Amino acid sequence: MRELSSRAKRGIAIVLVEGTVASFRTAAAALFLLSASLPAQERAVAIRGGTVLPISGPAIPNGTVVIRGGKVVAVGANVQVPAGAEIVDASGKYVMPGVVDAASYIGISDNDLNEPTDPMTPQNRVWEAYNPFGTFGSGQAAPLRNKEALSGGVTTQYIAPADAQLLGGQGAVLKTAGATLDALLVREPAAIDIALGTPPKTPARAANRDPFTRMAEAAMLRGLFVKAQEYQRNKSSNATLPRDLGMEALGKLLRKEIPARIQANNATDIRTALRLAQEFNFDVIIDGGAGAWDLKDELAAKKVAVVLGQVSHQYVSNEEIPDKQDYPKPDERLAGRLTNAGIPTAIATFSRAFSTLAPAGTGKWLLIDAALAAGYGMTDDQVLRAVTLIPAQILGIADRVGSLEAGKDADVIVLDGPPLSVKTWVQRVYVNGELVYTK
Amino acid sequence: MALPAGAQGDVILVRGGTIHPATGAPIANGSVLIRAGKIAAVGTNVTAPSGARIIDATGKTVIPGLIDNHSHIGAKSTDLNDSPMLIGPQHRFLDALDWNDTDFQDAVEGGVTTIVTGPGSGENVSGMAVVIKTFGTDYTKRMLLEKGGMKFAMGPKGRTRYPATAMGVAANLRQYLIKTQEYMAAQKKWEDDGKKGNPPARDLGYEAMADVLTHKTYVRAHVHAATDVMTLLRLKDEFGFDLTLHHSTEAYKVAPEIAKRGVTAVVLPLGDRIGLSDDAMAGPYQLWKAGVKIAMHTDAPVISQKWLRLCAALAMRYGIPEEEALKMVTSNAAEIARVSDHVGTLAEGKDADLVIFNGPWYEPKSRIDFVIGDGQVIYDRAKEGK
Repeated sequence: MRELSSRAKRGIAIVLVEGTVASFRTAAAALFLLSASLPAQERAVAIRGGTVLPISGPAIPNGTVVIRGGKVVAVGANVQVPAGAEIVDASGKYVMPGVVDAASYIGISDNDLNEPTDPMTPQNRVWEAYNPFGTFGSGQAAPLRNKEALSGGVTTQYIAPADAQLLGGQGAVLKTAGATLDALLVREPAAIDIALGTPPKTPARAANRDPFTRMAEAAMLRGLFVKAQEYQRNKSSNATLPRDLGMEALGKLLRKEIPARIQANNATDIRTALRLAQEFNFDVIIDGGAGAWDLKDELAAKKVAVVLGQVSHQYVSNEEIPDKQDYPKPDERLAGRLTNAGIPTAIATFSRAFSTLAPAGTGKWLLIDAALAAGYGMTDDQVLRAVTLIPAQILGIADRVGSLEAGKDADVIVLDGPPLSVKTWVQRVYVNGELVYTK
Repeated sequence: MALPAGAQGDVILVRGGTIHPATGAPIANGSVLIRAGKIAAVGTNVTAPSGARIIDATGKTVIPGLIDNHSHIGAKSTDLNDSPMLIGPQHRFLDALDWNDTDFQDAVEGGVTTIVTGPGSGENVSGMAVVIKTFGTDYTKRMLLEKGGMKFAMGPKGRTRYPATAMGVAANLRQYLIKTQEYMAAQKKWEDDGKKGNPPARDLGYEAMADVLTHKTYVRAHVHAATDVMTLLRLKDEFGFDLTLHHSTEAYKVAPEIAKRGVTAVVLPLGDRIGLSDDAMAGPYQLWKAGVKIAMHTDAPVISQKWLRLCAALAMRYGIPEEEALKMVTSNAAEIARVSDHVGTLAEGKDADLVIFNGPWYEPKSRIDFVIGDGQVIYDRAKEGK
């Protein structure tokens, strides 16, 4: 029903936009589009004849995926195709769930990635800086399509403030296509976003303020968490205390309603992240994690997940040439070794603007980059899980996305070859059952 | 008859792979014979002398050692640009080069055996690059070309000093090239007059730029915008130097102008690190189609040299045929770097630099099993434990 109403809203939006050109004919055409699209929403789509990779189970040669009403209805080799369903012939092709990018900064302008005046701003929500509407003064009205991500099959992504602050604020999970901004949203706030190491120190040093050192980074965060503990305690005994938005957000962390995402790459920073999580009893996910192998036993024992950067470029901070003190020498085996040690490990883009050329390392490349890991100790299946179901679990949304199973969101991609070949292109992308990208 | 013990390692037969020589068609079930650091034979009917080391490449892919035509490795990042100079042709990358930099190991692991490495783009002219091998302890042997190309970089370098516009950059370069001509003329006049009296005062900058104008070396120009490409082509028309475009982001927009002058282009790393629109991603294909000779580069350390092959594979994804994509990181790269007498193809007499993959060289999940440099095994995956 919600799907239907958002569809109807979109139809109205089209009419209004077209109406401004004061042409009866175009308005009439838009109305026709609206009426034609309404029944399509409830019409089933059967993607048939391809090699189906459900991720949650083994590959199904010559399989069928049926979607309807924005959800996956059936997946299998012998699936009943509902009468009247639209048939999509996928013979010779591959069908899999939409890719989940567990870390990205795409859609946030450089100036909005971090609040430069304050090293810790838990009250800030990245969602309020997210801009899928195109550059100022150009771009189309809804529906919203992140083509850069969709062209790589990415249908869900986590976005967050960047690493120029110790604690940038609250991250969000969203779809890469939808009728409206609100329709993109999957989970918000999804995490408290924190960064350790050189990136938060760099602007602080330039401004001659804290943190100058890793010691200060830990002490400042510790101080903030103590304050948050006291705020929750005082607020529960005295409801008339003035509200503090940052403290409220940290309350969600301390009550384990959301985890902390802590960017930490060398072993020192990962240890600090684990120490803070233990001390203040919150859930933690390690972002970057280039040195995670040194702490494999502790990470595995505590079931702490790791979101790695690109296999071909493991530096997740944005310098052209990163501070190598923050990172051990890149090792392509890392994703496979962590995975095989039982540590939930996702491979993500951490994509953002690199220089002024264009957004870099975007979802367009996630599958191709992750494919490198298949040469370094991971099976193809493990690599695909690391960009679908594992990140969905890490983001706490595996009930909705990450695999092709009945009842999950109909986020489905069709590829013209094996998903880990450099020659393969994503040909069709469905998000919430709607065809939002074709090549 | 067995070979003398000392020569055992000098003869290697790589047997039974699909050979991509980067000159001519692939050879199925072919072999490469290596002797004394050089390629002795390539083909289907090559046999090993007794005592030769046999490397079984059955089911594997054999290609020439890869060549990265544009990188900055081997020097500290603070040694790449002498920005106050603005035009500094007298700078030589060799004077900042650490031959033992650990980045060379990444190159070898990625099958890259020859590189051009040079100054950065913080000046409009930043100095002379070098062409070197990535492996070995004998630095004299590693040096392939000491005058490895004069680095130009288009675009203003800051807004607080002249030139701060594209117009100013063009005028400033033109003025410097004219002064170089005048410097050369004064030198020639002194020689023609029988070298009487003191010679004209030497200027290291004009001397180095004179090498460009006399074709002893060539211009390697960092350029992104199509309008700056046209400025370079105009300067070439005026001063007659040899020119290679680098990065060449928008070169595809003026491909016919580039092709008709025989100018070559080293194109952007298409690695996922550098984001480009699909139009620009297809740029190398457009250049290739227009007949421009193109090579690929990593710009290492921006992209690790280990992934040069992936950059070429992505160019292939946008339409360049497999063998042509391979040339971008082998024979074309060698020709543009002026070292094709030694490296870039699997042909008799060339340096024995080659790479053996366990699958297609362009697929991400293929791995390099062996890298051979100057006839020695310089990377053996089984021994690396990776």
